[in-house]
Amino acid sequence: MTSIIKVEHLNKSYGKKEILHDLNFNVNQNQIIALIGENGAGKTTLINILLNLISYNSGTVHILESDNYPKEHIGVMMQQNITITRISVKEIIKLTQSYYQHPLPYEKIIELANLKDMENSKMDKLSGGQKRRLSFALSMVGNPDLLFLDEPTTGMDSQSRSDFWQTIANLKDQNKTIFVTSHYLEELETVADRIMILQNKSISFDGSIAQLRNLEGESLIEFDSQLSPELFKNIPEIIDSKVLGNHYQFTTKNAELLIKQLTPYFNAINNLKVQQNSLDSLFINFNKEGKNHE
Amino acid sequence: MNSFIYQININFKRIILRNKRFFLFDMMLPIIFYLLYSKVLVSGIPKTDLKSWQMNYLISMIIYSCLLGSVITVANTLLEDKTSHFDILSKLTPLPRWQYYLSRILIFLLLNLISSIGICLVGILVNNLSLSIATWSLIILITIIGTIPLIFIGILISLSGNPATVNMLNNLVVFPLAIISGLWWPISMMPSWLQSLGKLTPTFELSNIDQSILHGKIINNQYVFGIIIWIFVIGILTLIITKYQKSKELNLE
Repeated sequence: MTSIIKVEHLNKSYGKKEILHDLNFNVNQNQIIALIGENGAGKTTLINILLNLISYNSGTVHILESDNYPKEHIGVMMQQNITITRISVKEIIKLTQSYYQHPLPYEKIIELANLKDMENSKMDKLSGGQKRRLSFALSMVGNPDLLFLDEPTTGMDSQSRSDFWQTIANLKDQNKTIFVTSHYLEELETVADRIMILQNKSISFDGSIAQLRNLEGESLIEFDSQLSPELFKNIPEIIDSKVLGNHYQFTTKNAELLIKQLTPYFNAINNLKVQQNSLDSLFINFNKEGKNHE
Repeated sequence: MNSFIYQININFKRIILRNKRFFLFDMMLPIIFYLLYSKVLVSGIPKTDLKSWQMNYLISMIIYSCLLGSVITVANTLLEDKTSHFDILSKLTPLPRWQYYLSRILIFLLLNLISSIGICLVGILVNNLSLSIATWSLIILITIIGTIPLIFIGILISLSGNPATVNMLNNLVVFPLAIISGLWWPISMMPSWLQSLGKLTPTFELSNIDQSILHGKIINNQYVFGIIIWIFVIGILTLIITKYQKSKELNLE
């Protein structure tokens, strides 16, 4: 399998302040990787290093198996919107096309970013969400193999977000590799194949959401029942419980085992629901534990 | 090549054609000054000297217009490219950096060319000034080349990084430079110490070269060297500051 990003023993400091410590990871082709971390964890520094915008103190970074940074094959959607005055959407896309040897056709770019109705609008007159879509369009101009998306959906309305992530999923099907950071973790949950958590200057978790759930997972089991709460008092799998009239809420780390324990009472249980923790709460739990270990 | 021409075309539209600030300040202001001091407020000038005054003042206003364009428009354009993230967008694409800078420098020279031609046309149409096409062309060509140090000053100012500082530096450079180099009033009206200072400015040197061409005199080499020295000094200063800022960015980001 082709290695798209290979980072080995990467260290970065600003003066005496260490930002990244001995980072090691490998990204293969055709993956969507989500990099998450609290503010100030070093995400932007790491992305800037991967984009060849800033230097690093030691270690190696290889992008698309090349020693030189292959800009022709990399697309970047920056966190900041590009708002050049006195230029239309059509002109900035055509201008960006002129920077590449083999750009995507103009119509294809417009279709991908859903910009059909605003081709002749001036860039500085676009709304926040439209500017994000334009930034995405510009990142796709070179038909990149590797796409960096930094907070891509900030400012987009819910329909645009949903369309955007559908487009990203389609790009993955076309063998693209996508490296994304976002504060909207519930969105990443639906698309990311792999989560990397940057914490305490290094990658503290690298795996699938399922693996993170196994590590950190808490599930919420809810049901309605006339049974007495006393019956459930001694089930060890229940780590927290709330009873509101006939409505029961149990928090557990092992939903499967708890449901087995509840089996004898199924006849007296209605509306049973099992909710797994969102990526948001998994991330919060993970961070808390990380801090406790500090 | 087609790509490069497209880049020039778009930069021409956004920096010159659609830029009202350029037409209002870089062109209209010197034209209004020119009309005022060569057509309206001329009662104290003997009729025999009027044509010569109109011609000399035309040179001053051409250079003043180029000064406004080279410093204010260049500094503001480059600052805007940075704050709008246009600069970083092009850094992330395969566009060679030399192509990025060349497309802008050509536009800045074109900006000075357009305003020079505009002011010459006012002189020809309003004051009936007549010179051979070769002399007009030579004056414009020399002016365009002579504005290179002024463009470097604009680039240097843009490096200060924020709009308030850029505006302040623009005003601190443009108006004193215009006054002490004798673009607004004859340099002979100023105290001698200020005259000595004014004679070292690139705008005075350029004005003097243009006046020599206009009156068919031999160009004083001192002024040619003066402009070359300005190009080197400000060019090197720009490079040093750019390198310093880059290293600072790497360490403090």
